[in-house]
Amino acid sequence: MKDAEPVVFVVDDEPCVRLALQRLLKSAGHGVETFGSAAELLACGAAERPGCLLLDLQMPGVNGLELQQALRAEGASLPVVFLSGKADVSTAAQAMKAGALDFLTKPVNDRELLAAVGLACELSVKAQRERTELQELRQRLAQLTCRELEVFSLVATGLRNKQIAGALGTVEKTVKVHRAHVMEKMQAGSLADLVRFADRLSLSAVTERGHDPDRAGSPSWHDGQA
Amino acid sequence: MESLLILALALELRRRRKQSAREIQQLRQEMAHISRVTTLSGLAGSLSHDLKQPLTAICSNVQAARRFLAAEPPFLGEVCEILASIEQDGERAGEMIERVRGLLKKGEWKPELLSFNDIVQDVVHLLRGHVVARGASLRIEAAPDLPRVSGDRAQLLQVLLNLALNAVEAMAGNPAGARHLVLATRRAGPGCAEAIVRDSGRGIAPAEIERIFEPFYTTKREGLGIGLSITRSIVKAHGGAVWAENHPEGGAAFHVVLPVLGDGHPGGT
Repeated sequence: MKDAEPVVFVVDDEPCVRLALQRLLKSAGHGVETFGSAAELLACGAAERPGCLLLDLQMPGVNGLELQQALRAEGASLPVVFLSGKADVSTAAQAMKAGALDFLTKPVNDRELLAAVGLACELSVKAQRERTELQELRQRLAQLTCRELEVFSLVATGLRNKQIAGALGTVEKTVKVHRAHVMEKMQAGSLADLVRFADRLSLSAVTERGHDPDRAGSPSWHDGQA
Repeated sequence: MESLLILALALELRRRRKQSAREIQQLRQEMAHISRVTTLSGLAGSLSHDLKQPLTAICSNVQAARRFLAAEPPFLGEVCEILASIEQDGERAGEMIERVRGLLKKGEWKPELLSFNDIVQDVVHLLRGHVVARGASLRIEAAPDLPRVSGDRAQLLQVLLNLALNAVEAMAGNPAGARHLVLATRRAGPGCAEAIVRDSGRGIAPAEIERIFEPFYTTKREGLGIGLSITRSIVKAHGGAVWAENHPEGGAAFHVVLPVLGDGHPGGT
């Protein structure tokens, strides 16, 4: 699956600054979109796309910090880099505590800016990739039957087929069949993959019968491929 | 003989009175200048923030141009656009500095033909950053075809700047989003031009509405309380009047009325 190209969303109320930053970012190969106010950014649905935010602090109406808070409230996870003409310590601390990736001052050093933006975009692409993966996994999980789901969660805790059979009140042969189906539907190449998927999906390991598999002997991790 | 002595004495007294009058005038101008400098130093933070904008643009433009030139082949079209922007931004920065310099100048009364609308524009340029930093909004209601007045530009700018700064401060206690500053101009009857500075603060206690113009009267914790008294003396020296009233919709409004050119006798005493 091809990652969508990350975009730098620049928000600054000063047109000459917006234009200059856009040119600088473009000259370094970044995709850029500019906005003159927080309202404009929020209206365009940037929250859904990979990339990062380059925010001015001091703007009329909703300022940079308030915009950052509004985006977090919306659940947007774009990394934020602040760029401000005002550099007092308390504002910078506030911004960093609220989760900003970096806080730069104007006039800005191009190397610092491009490094911060580069890192931010990398993080965003990685996070987007993980989100997409998780969505994929959830879709695959939805293909499992109830029984297969049970087997999946027990396999992921490291139980041997025999133990799983005991826990579910069935025979080993049946468990093996279910297990094979699970591997196929989840597109897992190994036990290690299955375990990783289970972890990503936060599967709980309590079975239908309320039998806690943690008590069914010591889980042997080292069976199957490591 | 006696009459000669009396004449000499009378001439001497007149000479001294004229000298005192000149000295008083000079002192007034010094005070006005000091007040301007104090006001500007209070604005130093927001003015330097404002100046950083075109400078930031210039720096980032230059850095972009370098990269465009280093590309294979170089993006010459972009570089040309960048150069045009840099020139523009540089001019803007120069204008900002000129504005501040104009306010800082110390000097003789220099009367010229002015419109309140131009002065309001100067106030907006100087205060924009400060207003944003204080979370307030600024609106202009300028009357078209406002008749001109004769006056010293720096001093009239000082008057409106002072009133506007006071207005912003008066709203500091308001919740964010409820701080509205309005600068309005209009004709005020025949032969007068008026500027009004209105805020959405708490207003002025009726008992104080005249007292606030007294020298050294202040309700602020910091500040000498000379701003409004200097404002009034400048306006009076221009042949005009300044007063305050509470706006029916809340907040205070300060009115400055000056005679239009040809009426009244603006000038130093």
